[in-house]
Amino acid sequence: MLIRRHAINEASYRTYFFSALLMNRVTDDASPRPALTDLAFHILIALGSGPAHGYAIGKDVEEQSGGRLDPSTGTLYQALHRLKEEGLIASVEPPERSDERRKYFQLTERGRRVAEAEARRLHTLVRTARKRKLYPQQA
Amino acid sequence: MVRLYRWLIRLSPAALRREYGAAIEETFARRWNDARASGFWTSVRICARELAGLIGWLLSERWGAPARLRWQRQQIQSRGKAGHMDAVGREIRHATRRLVRSPAFTLAAVLTLALAIGANTAIFTVVYRVVLNPLPYPASDRLIALDYGLPTRNINAGVKYMSSQFYYQLADRARTLESVAVYNIWGATLTGLEGNPERIQISRATPSLASVLRVQPALGRWFTDQEGVPGSPPPVVLSHGLWIRRFGRDPAILGRSLSVDGLPTTVVGVMPAAFTFPDARTDAWIAAQSTRATASSLFTFMGVARLRDGTTLASARAEMAQLITDLSRVSPNHRGWIATALPLQDAVVGQIARTLWILLAAVGLVLLVACANVANLFLVRSDARRREVAVRQALGAGRRALAGYFLAESVLLSIAGGVTGLGLSWGAVRLLVAFAPVNLPRLQEVRLDASVLAFTLALSLLTAIAFGAIPWLRLAPLPASLHESGRSNTASRGRYRARHLLMGGQVALALVLVVFSGLMLRSFQKLRAVDPGFDARSALTFSIALPDRDYASRRSAVATHRAILDRLSAIPGVTAASASTCLPLSTYCLEHMVVPEGVVDDGMLRPRALFYAVAGGYFEATGIRLLRGRFIDRGDVERGAPVAVVNTALADALFPNQDPLGKRFRSSMPPTSPPNAPPWLEIVGVVSNTPVFSLTERTPVAQLYMPMSIAGGPDIPVGTMLGPSVSKMSYAVRAATPPATLAAAVRTGVGEIDPNLPVSDVRSLEDILDRAAAQMAFTMTLIIIAASVALMLGVIGIYGVMSYVVSQRTGEIGVRLALGADPGQVAGMIVRQGGLVAIAGVIVGLGLAYAGSRFIASLLYGVSARDPVVFAATTVLLLTVALMACWLPARRGARLSPLEALRAE
Repeated sequence: MLIRRHAINEASYRTYFFSALLMNRVTDDASPRPALTDLAFHILIALGSGPAHGYAIGKDVEEQSGGRLDPSTGTLYQALHRLKEEGLIASVEPPERSDERRKYFQLTERGRRVAEAEARRLHTLVRTARKRKLYPQQA
Repeated sequence: MVRLYRWLIRLSPAALRREYGAAIEETFARRWNDARASGFWTSVRICARELAGLIGWLLSERWGAPARLRWQRQQIQSRGKAGHMDAVGREIRHATRRLVRSPAFTLAAVLTLALAIGANTAIFTVVYRVVLNPLPYPASDRLIALDYGLPTRNINAGVKYMSSQFYYQLADRARTLESVAVYNIWGATLTGLEGNPERIQISRATPSLASVLRVQPALGRWFTDQEGVPGSPPPVVLSHGLWIRRFGRDPAILGRSLSVDGLPTTVVGVMPAAFTFPDARTDAWIAAQSTRATASSLFTFMGVARLRDGTTLASARAEMAQLITDLSRVSPNHRGWIATALPLQDAVVGQIARTLWILLAAVGLVLLVACANVANLFLVRSDARRREVAVRQALGAGRRALAGYFLAESVLLSIAGGVTGLGLSWGAVRLLVAFAPVNLPRLQEVRLDASVLAFTLALSLLTAIAFGAIPWLRLAPLPASLHESGRSNTASRGRYRARHLLMGGQVALALVLVVFSGLMLRSFQKLRAVDPGFDARSALTFSIALPDRDYASRRSAVATHRAILDRLSAIPGVTAASASTCLPLSTYCLEHMVVPEGVVDDGMLRPRALFYAVAGGYFEATGIRLLRGRFIDRGDVERGAPVAVVNTALADALFPNQDPLGKRFRSSMPPTSPPNAPPWLEIVGVVSNTPVFSLTERTPVAQLYMPMSIAGGPDIPVGTMLGPSVSKMSYAVRAATPPATLAAAVRTGVGEIDPNLPVSDVRSLEDILDRAAAQMAFTMTLIIIAASVALMLGVIGIYGVMSYVVSQRTGEIGVRLALGADPGQVAGMIVRQGGLVAIAGVIVGLGLAYAGSRFIASLLYGVSARDPVVFAATTVLLLTVALMACWLPARRGARLSPLEALRAE
C-alpha cells in the first residue's frame, strides 16, 4: 500500500510538474512563473539558505514536509533537472574537500524571485482562508 | 544494489548521464545505506521506490513529455531553420504514411529496386576491388611487371618469362629501376609436417622481392642477400594460410626444419594474411639461389620491379629494351627478344577488367529497366492523386513544394530498396566469390566496404530522382490539373505518353541485354564445340612428384613411374594409364628452341616448342589423335630410343611442306657438338594440336613428345636441355567407369609402391576442359541472369501498363461492346496500341544492340558481334513475350460484359 501511495505521489508530481510546464509553454520571458509543484517549491526553500547537494536537499525536503514528501533519488534529480532547465537553480562548484561525485546546486536570482512569489501567493491564500475561518487564527 | 542502480543509470540519455550520473549514484548509495539501517522490509520498500523512480525518469526522458518539449524548444529557438526542416520532416512523415497504407505498391517498388541496386552493388564491388582499388603494396603505382616479346614470331608482348641473366643485367645496370626481383611458381611436396605430406604451391623468389614490394613478414624475417647465394639450403617463408592450416598458428614455427621436394629447408618467417603475391594460391616462398657467374639464360622466371622516383614507365621501357639488346650480344638465347613493362596492376588484372566493366554496364541496364518499372508505378499513383495535387496547387503550392511531395516517396523507396539491395548484394558477393573462376585475379580482396556503401547510397539517391522526378516533370499548370483530375471516359494521348515512353524504353533495354546474352550463349556453345585435340571423357588425372632425396636419378624416377603405371593398369575397369610431364591445357610445360637436322645451329632464333616427356601409352590414355606414323610405346621408353612425336604445328614449323616422318631434330642448346650435345630425335609420328593456354588460342603451340627415359631428371643438369625433369609427372587414367570412382583405388595403388608419395591435383580431363572455359561460362551466366531479370521486369512493366490502360478505358470498352463491337476487335485494338510501343522499343533496342555489340566482341568466340541469327531470334522472342504481356490484359478487358464495364465507371 505504501509503495502504491508513493508511486501515485511520484506519478502525480510528474503530472503536475509537466502540466505546469506545458501550460506555461516555452517562452523567453524571465518573469516569475505561477504555481510551482510542491516538490519544486520545497527544493527552492531548501536552497534558500545556500548551496546544497542532492542528498542534503532530499533530507531537507523530508524534514520541511514533516515526512510527507520523501522523493526517490530519481524523482528528486528529475525535479532538480527541470528547475535547472527553467533557470530557477544552477550548478555550482563543490566546496573543497567534498566528495567529487556530489553535485551542488544553488538558487538563481530568478529562482529566488519565483520562490518569493510563490511564498507570497501562499501567504495570501492562508490569509484568505483565515478570514473565512478555514484556517486557525494566528495566536 | 548500488551496482544495479549504476547499470540503470547507464540507460539514461548521454547528456544526463554525464551531468548527473555520478551525483545520482552517490545520493542513492547514501540513501541505500540509510535504508539498510532501517530494517529489511523498509529497505525493500525503499529499494522498490528508488528503482521505480529512476526507471520512470529514464522513460520520461527518452520518450515522454520532456523529450517532446525539448524538441519543441529546439524548433522555436531555431525558428528560421525549423520552418524548412519542419516542412521536409512533414513531407517525409506523410510520405511514410502513404507508403505504409499501400503495402502492395511499396513492396513491389522496394523489391524491384532492391534487386537492381543489389545487382549493381555486387558487380561494382568486384569491379572496385579487382580493377579500381590499388594493389595492397605501398606506392603500388610505381610497381611494374616485366614483359617480353619476340617480334620475329609476331609476339610483341605478353611473354612473362625472363632469364636470371637478364635479372642481373637489370639489377646491375638499370638506372630507372629502384629495385628488381624475379620469381616463379611451381608445385612441390612439403614434408616434415605432422600428418601427411602436402602438395603446395611454392614461389621461388630472389631476396629483393620484399624490397620491391616493400613488405615484411608478420613473423620472423624475409631472406637475406646471403641466402640468395648457393652454398646452404635455401630458407622458406610460409604463407599465413599454410601456417594456420598445417601448423596450427604455432608461435614457435621459426627455425622449424621442413623438406621441400626432399630438400631440407628452415622456416625463417610467416607472411601477413593479406600478402598473396604472386597469387592467392601461393603457400610458401623459398629463396632463389644463383650468382652472376652461374646465372641461366633459360626463361624460367617472372619479373617485377619498382620504378625509381622521378622516372617514368616510358623511360624504363626504353632502358630495358637497350639492356636486353646488349645482353643478346653475349647470350644468344636472348637474340630477337624485346623487353618492355606494364603497370603491375594491369598485369595482375589482365583482360578481366574489360569483362567486369561490361558486366557492370549490363546490370546498369537492369537498373534502368527497374527504374522505368517503378516510374510507371509512380505514374499510376500520381494519376490517382491528381485531385490532391490540384488542390495543393490551388492552395498555393509551387513546383518546388510539389517536388518535395513527389520526391519524398521516391527517396524513401530508394533508400529502402538500397538497404535491402545492400543485404542482397552481400549474399551475391559471397556467391560470386565462391563460383568465380579460380584464375580471377584479386578474388580474395573482394568484399563490401565503405566505398561500396557510398556507391549504394549514391545509386539509391540517383534512382530516387530518376523515377520520382517523372510525375513532377509532368505537372501541368493549375487549370490543366483541375481539368485532368475530372472524370473522362476516353483516354487522351498525352495521358499515356509518358507510360508508353517508359514501356518502350524497357523493351529497348531488355532487348539489348537479351541480344548480348544470346551472343554469349552462342559463343559458349562454339567454345565447347572446339575440338580440344584429346578425348576428355572418362579419364582421371593427378600428379605425383618424386622427392629428389629418395629418387636421385632419372633411372630410378622412370622405374618408379613405370611401377605405378603397371599397378594402375591392374585396377579393374582401367583401359589405359600413362603419364607425362605436362597435360593438355597446362601452362607449366618446359619450352625451348629446337633445330632440325641439316640446319647449322648458329645460335640464331629457331622455332620454340613445348617439351613433353611421356610414358608409353600416353596418347591412348589422353585420346590425342594420331595423324601420321605411330605413337611412342613402352618399348621406346625401355630402350631409351631417341624418337619423338610432334604435333602438326611443330611439324609445319620445322619441315614446312615436307613429310616429317623419319626426319630428325634436337634441342638447340650448347654445346652443339658431341659428346655432350643433346641427342637427335627422329620423328616417328605426327599428332593433332592440343590447346595449351586456352581453348581459344588462335595460333596452335608447337609441341613435341619424347620418351621419359631420355628426358631430364634430378641427376641431369638443367642446362643440358635434354628435356623436362621426370621427377614430377602428371598421370592420365582412362576407365570404363566414371573418373571420380577411381580416385580411392588410385591412391591405394600409388601407396603400395611408396606410401610417402602424395597424390595431388586429382581431377578429370573434363574438369580441366571445364576450367579452360570457366571464365567465359562465368561471364555468360551473369549476363544471362541480367538479361532474364531485365526481361522479367520488362514483361511485368508491359503487363502492368496495359492492365492500367485497360482499367482506365473500361468505360470506353463498355460503350464499344454495348454498340456491338466484337470482343476480339476490342482486344485487338488494345494489343495494337501496346504492340506498336513494343515494336518501337524493339527497333530502338536493335539499334542500341547493334551499336553496342562491338564492346562485347572481345568476350565472344566463333561468333560475330552482329550475328544476324542471334539478333533475329532474340527479337522474335522479345516481341512474342511483349505481345503476350499486352494480350492478356486486353483479353481480360474484352471479356467484360458491357453492363459491368459501364457500371464500373
